[in-house]
Amino acid sequence: MDAAVLYNVPHEVPWKVYIPLYFYFTGLSAGSFILSTLSTVFGIKRFKPMALPAAIISFILLLLAPACLILDLHQPTRFWHTLVPEYFNRTSALSYGSWLLTIYPIANLIYIYFIYVKYDRVTKILGSLTVPLAIFVHAYTGFAFALVRARAWWHSALMPGYFLTSALLSGIALLVVVALVMDRFQKNKLDPELYTSLRLMMVAILLVDLFWSGSFWLTLLVSTADGYASIMLAFHEKLYVWGEYAAGMLAPLVILLLPWTRKHKAWLCVASLLIIGGVFLMRYSVVFIGFDIPLS
Amino acid sequence: MAEKNTLDREKAPIHRVADDAKGEPERAVPAQTTRKWAMLVDQRRCIGCHSCTVACKSENNVPLGYWRSWVKGIQKGAFPHVGNLYLRRLCNQCETPPCVQVCPVQATVRREEDGVVVMYYGKCIGCGMCIAACPYDARFFNPIRNTADKCDFCLSRIDNGLKPACVEACTSGALIFGDLADPSSEISQKLATTPTCVLKPELGTKPKVYYVQADYTLQGRIHFSDRFEDEILDYRQHIPSPGADYWKKGE
Repeated sequence: MDAAVLYNVPHEVPWKVYIPLYFYFTGLSAGSFILSTLSTVFGIKRFKPMALPAAIISFILLLLAPACLILDLHQPTRFWHTLVPEYFNRTSALSYGSWLLTIYPIANLIYIYFIYVKYDRVTKILGSLTVPLAIFVHAYTGFAFALVRARAWWHSALMPGYFLTSALLSGIALLVVVALVMDRFQKNKLDPELYTSLRLMMVAILLVDLFWSGSFWLTLLVSTADGYASIMLAFHEKLYVWGEYAAGMLAPLVILLLPWTRKHKAWLCVASLLIIGGVFLMRYSVVFIGFDIPLS
Repeated sequence: MAEKNTLDREKAPIHRVADDAKGEPERAVPAQTTRKWAMLVDQRRCIGCHSCTVACKSENNVPLGYWRSWVKGIQKGAFPHVGNLYLRRLCNQCETPPCVQVCPVQATVRREEDGVVVMYYGKCIGCGMCIAACPYDARFFNPIRNTADKCDFCLSRIDNGLKPACVEACTSGALIFGDLADPSSEISQKLATTPTCVLKPELGTKPKVYYVQADYTLQGRIHFSDRFEDEILDYRQHIPSPGADYWKKGE
């Protein structure tokens, strides 16, 4: 039966661009931090020169991330309510998240200090304690979406994993750019093998991300009306198809795999920058395509 | 009304009900200690006059351009066989509310004593998570209070023994408000004898707002069709922009 909505009251989208930016910054931070622990905790010597810059970048991004979050609040002066133990809501991902976002930067700062003074044993212990924090601080943002049953676009068990892998991806891509800049201005050059391993890691995670996306699309295509509408809408969005997937995932994948581009540092830089942009678009589309499907 | 019920509550004895069918021993059913406020919307009676919308805005001082409760209008069919249908929309006062689940500061909770989902405006940090999580799109940012806001069955009225403003204002008696925990209340009797439905039952939110004759076209789902894009574009057009300030003119 044909039916037309004559009038209805949709409410405005409660979030601004700060929210995807915040996800993006925590993702970058968690990714850089995990990269930094590769040498200090997991003992892969090749990544040693990256340990300190990666940890510092991770800390700076961690200062930006909560700032974005507080900017988006409609009552910014009340942000401390999230840290009052009495107000803690054990079913809310955001409650856990605000504690993680407080503890993690502190742990990160201590970790940076011990890398700086080259106290390797303590660094290893601190690093292994902070890695789970880094993982949770980003995975919780995935849970914040996955636990919203109202919106088919968010309510997916894949969300936390997808957020985590793309966080790693953006972290590595950022570190590649930083390493290339460091290489340019430093006297002692970095080991070229370092780039090879970073490149292979990016390729592997890109493939994992594409796998997540494929599973996500297929399940939504045979999901409820809401799920079907969201995925069809997403396929009509130019930013989603051409921005996030073509430019942000497939193009870098091709650049990183083709034999005549993968050897050049310039191409590596281009691919990394594309990935950094693509991961932001992923955050953006997750947040805002979710709001495009009318609920009432 | 409230006073009378408190007295009842004190005096009421413990009823003993024998479960004859299963031959089980007698079990104690405690007398009514809690309430369960609910609303029944009889769509057959609704004439689409929007009195409830107006009464709600007036009672709760809802800023211009925002609604705590509203009426959705739908036209079905094609001339000359046309049906004009209305769906009264308000907070569904869920028993397992998704908004309470996601609030990071417990600024919105479900009151144990009467099942109404209430807002604590002084606690709310305005993060918008509850607005994003409500499957009924019943929440919004109040631009004057700068916190999340929603229908709470006119809390100050029902706590003082009055009916919600919309129920008082309804011209055709389409809204019935009452206590589900009291089997002799009008709403309990109606619910027991009339086929009713709730919105989005598959989400398991157990809403306390029941509808008679809420047609599937009214229920606000997007339908499997090739035209869903127009539907969404139309929907987007009607979302007030975050920078809108027309509500300020009516301050």
